[in-house]
Amino acid sequence: MEPELVVPTMEAIRRWSGVAVPNAAARAGLADHAALIAELAALRGSMVFEDEPSSFEAALRDLKEAGR
Amino acid sequence: MNAPVSTAATTGASGLAMLSMTEAADAFAAGEATATALTEACLARIDAHDGAVNSVIRLDREAALEAAAAADAARAAGKPLGPLAGVPMMHKDMYYRAGKVSTCGSKIRRDFVAPKTATVLQRLDAAGAIDMGTLNMAEFAQNPTGHNAHFGDCHNPWDLAYCTGGSSSGSGAGVAARFFYAALGSDTGGSIRLPATLCGVTGLKATQTRVPRTGVMPLSFSADNVGPLVRTARDAARFLGVTAGRCPGDPTSAPEAVPDYEAALTGDIRGLRIAVCETSFLDGADAPVVAAFEAALDVLQAQGAVVTRRSAASMRAINAYTAVISRVEGAAIHANWMREHPGDYAIHLSSRLFGGYALPAHLYVEALSRRGPLLRQFVAEMLDGFDVVATPTLKTRVPTLAETDIDADPANWARFMAVSANTRPFNYLGLPTISLPCGFDDRGLPIGLQLAARPFAEATVLRAADAFQQVTDWHRKAPAL
Repeated sequence: MEPELVVPTMEAIRRWSGVAVPNAAARAGLADHAALIAELAALRGSMVFEDEPSSFEAALRDLKEAGR
Repeated sequence: MNAPVSTAATTGASGLAMLSMTEAADAFAAGEATATALTEACLARIDAHDGAVNSVIRLDREAALEAAAAADAARAAGKPLGPLAGVPMMHKDMYYRAGKVSTCGSKIRRDFVAPKTATVLQRLDAAGAIDMGTLNMAEFAQNPTGHNAHFGDCHNPWDLAYCTGGSSSGSGAGVAARFFYAALGSDTGGSIRLPATLCGVTGLKATQTRVPRTGVMPLSFSADNVGPLVRTARDAARFLGVTAGRCPGDPTSAPEAVPDYEAALTGDIRGLRIAVCETSFLDGADAPVVAAFEAALDVLQAQGAVVTRRSAASMRAINAYTAVISRVEGAAIHANWMREHPGDYAIHLSSRLFGGYALPAHLYVEALSRRGPLLRQFVAEMLDGFDVVATPTLKTRVPTLAETDIDADPANWARFMAVSANTRPFNYLGLPTISLPCGFDDRGLPIGLQLAARPFAEATVLRAADAFQQVTDWHRKAPAL
């Protein structure tokens, strides 16, 4: 059975992006979002913005092997 | 299944095609093989077998033979030779060459003529490589299986009913089939490492920013990587040495000096500390995959490596955010075409892109902002006190094209998406990662070992992979087409 979120999500996409649902597989893919939403909801509270400046590129350089 | 054949015998034209990239380059440099003979050996393999494999989109036969003759003449004249001189290659059809069509595996760009040449192609040209043409790929590099509705599915040379892996499908299948010695792939969620695994070859995704992306079709600006599919870790080391390094045209490319990667291939991994990440990467893995993975760890331990089992609490967030970034960036890149030409996409592609428009902007920003902190956390969990992280590249046995075909049956969605479960996290983390053959499953399809290391530690993963290949022969086995 199709999750409740599918139809309103399709409508939101159409309104915000002007993209219509292209096929049945796309609807099936939206149903997959329920699991992603649950995962992201589970992370709430654990993921906060840091006060200090940081970036992914800076982390790559900071974490290089010693001596490199 | 096509029974493997040994590639030890390398005499004659067919034997030349069995050489690795570095063996071919070194044979040319030593005067033991001409570039013309190497090119003709590759062309003969393509002529004989690509009708079944379908790895090639455009074959530039005459241009390749002319370039080979020029290389032979240059060597005869005593001119300096590049490190890849005389070696025939083909590349995923998303690397732009000025004036040539770059289809990106799509109907939408079937007639797109590239306005410039990709930096990596320029560097391969300068190293003396011979470009024979372009390769089949997932449409816009957007699937992990090798399906292509516009140019035909690419078929696994080990068994034509099975997936090649994607999105660099032609690159993996063609290197495995000995059609050429090396191929560029691209890797946004595993698109080099997956076809390397499924086709039984070696594939390297370097550190994010290590190889410039100028003149390469974008899929996800944050996670796209350029890299090779080849036969051996030594091949990957030489290829990376040629292609890595800062490019003014790509301001995101790293300024770090490019080391001599081949010099790191000592064969000595005594004391190498390997962490096996037991969180997520082994969940639900098929028994033949686990058996081959454990056997590979035994080989590494027998060479003096120390293997430790670890867990990583960061994996849950990494997996969730990985899914957000590439979906949103892909949706943004394709928005105009999705509005104006949705029917020009394959079903499996438009259906994947569609979901990206639903993800809230704040989650995308959050996924990007957490990338640095999660990289730091993962490194603390898995690489503080360790040199390499080991996982299977693909959790399952190689699937068939039919059982991952969303276009035919949307019920295949979950199996399709599961293919890249073990590769995607390393794109979010940006870590250098290699996949190399480590066995075969009970149906005769290849299994891959994935090794990752700290940022810019390509030499470490290459050293470990090369040491493994010095005492095993999985990478030497070729499908009997």
